[in-house]
Amino acid sequence: MLLVDFLRDKLGLTGTHIGCDTGHCGACTVMLNDVTVKSCLLLAAQANNSKILTIEGLSADGKLHPLQEEFLEHEGLQCGYCTPGMILSSLFLLKRNPAPSDDEIKKAIDGNLCRCTGYLGIVKAVKAAASRMNRESRLNSV
Amino acid sequence: MKLRLAAPNALIDINGLTELSYIREEDGVIAIGALTRHDQLSRDRMIQQKIPMLAEAASLIADQQVRNRGTIGGSLAHADPTADLPTACMALNANIIIRNEHGSRSVASNDFFRDFFTTTLKQDEIIQEVRIPIPPPRSGGDYAKLAKGHGDFALVAVATQISLGSGDFCSAVSVVLGGVGSTPSHAAETEKLLMGNIIDDQLIREGSLMAAEGLSPNPDFRATSELKLKMVTKLTEKTLRTAVGRARGGI
Repeated sequence: MLLVDFLRDKLGLTGTHIGCDTGHCGACTVMLNDVTVKSCLLLAAQANNSKILTIEGLSADGKLHPLQEEFLEHEGLQCGYCTPGMILSSLFLLKRNPAPSDDEIKKAIDGNLCRCTGYLGIVKAVKAAASRMNRESRLNSV
Repeated sequence: MKLRLAAPNALIDINGLTELSYIREEDGVIAIGALTRHDQLSRDRMIQQKIPMLAEAASLIADQQVRNRGTIGGSLAHADPTADLPTACMALNANIIIRNEHGSRSVASNDFFRDFFTTTLKQDEIIQEVRIPIPPPRSGGDYAKLAKGHGDFALVAVATQISLGSGDFCSAVSVVLGGVGSTPSHAAETEKLLMGNIIDDQLIREGSLMAAEGLSPNPDFRATSELKLKMVTKLTEKTLRTAVGRARGGI
């Protein structure tokens, strides 16, 4: 069983999406032991004894994460299908590079395809989330 | 497995062999454990300082999610002719340490890749380590690839590594082409042309044209043979200029 199917079908965490059949689109991106991975390219058994963060974990305290709010504010999504994976990849970037340039953002979301937005709104959203998270010192928590 | 080209009945997950993940300097060699991830290769200070071309090649692989999981052992064993690390490792004269139940053996990367997705690994062997000799002072390298989209597999790739001796003569040169054959291959005539000579513009241009001779890359829906050949020349020229510049201490 693939990790993505385990998350969705066994744990009911359907925020992680399946957007392709070949491991290209990145809609299934989650964090495994603090690094982003495509959960459709892992067997569930490989995640034994590991820490996993899905999109649901970003608002576990009942409030939207700054990344989620900025994606809404700056039109970083339309259909929303790529969005959970896109946000996880963005979070990984910001943990390593709290003040990325536009080019660095684009490279960081290389593994996440979006059919709707043309990526401009996504880059704006990540930029905005970065400054907000720096101001609010959110980068040490989730 | 994802593309349904293989459907094994049983799998052994070796990701738990954390002792195979390391980057060490020993006896003039950088020793890299087979389970070292591409992301680690691209960010390691020692690799960035001593064999930066490898870090560059690793940073161009696929995307962040793939680089977080993919390993050098996996990439070399898989031997995709359009992959980045096999081409880079050959240009860096890497030796591959292979392990089986009886012990280990060393194979030069030049001899390791046999055909598409085919290496000298036997059924009961795994790659244990990749050993790359540290280039002498006044060395430089560069890796360039043409891909359809960012991070895609290479349509054409060139890995160049050069050392300059006293008097600016070329004392060592490797120019390896990826994506244009069933395995990466040395542009042998180019290397012969440059070896022992002062590498100037003229030689770079001649060498770059030579690199495309005798090749018959398969056309596919992404690129015609003609485009691939032209890009072999372009990328060879680009990497030669950059490698020589770095060796001279310019860039």
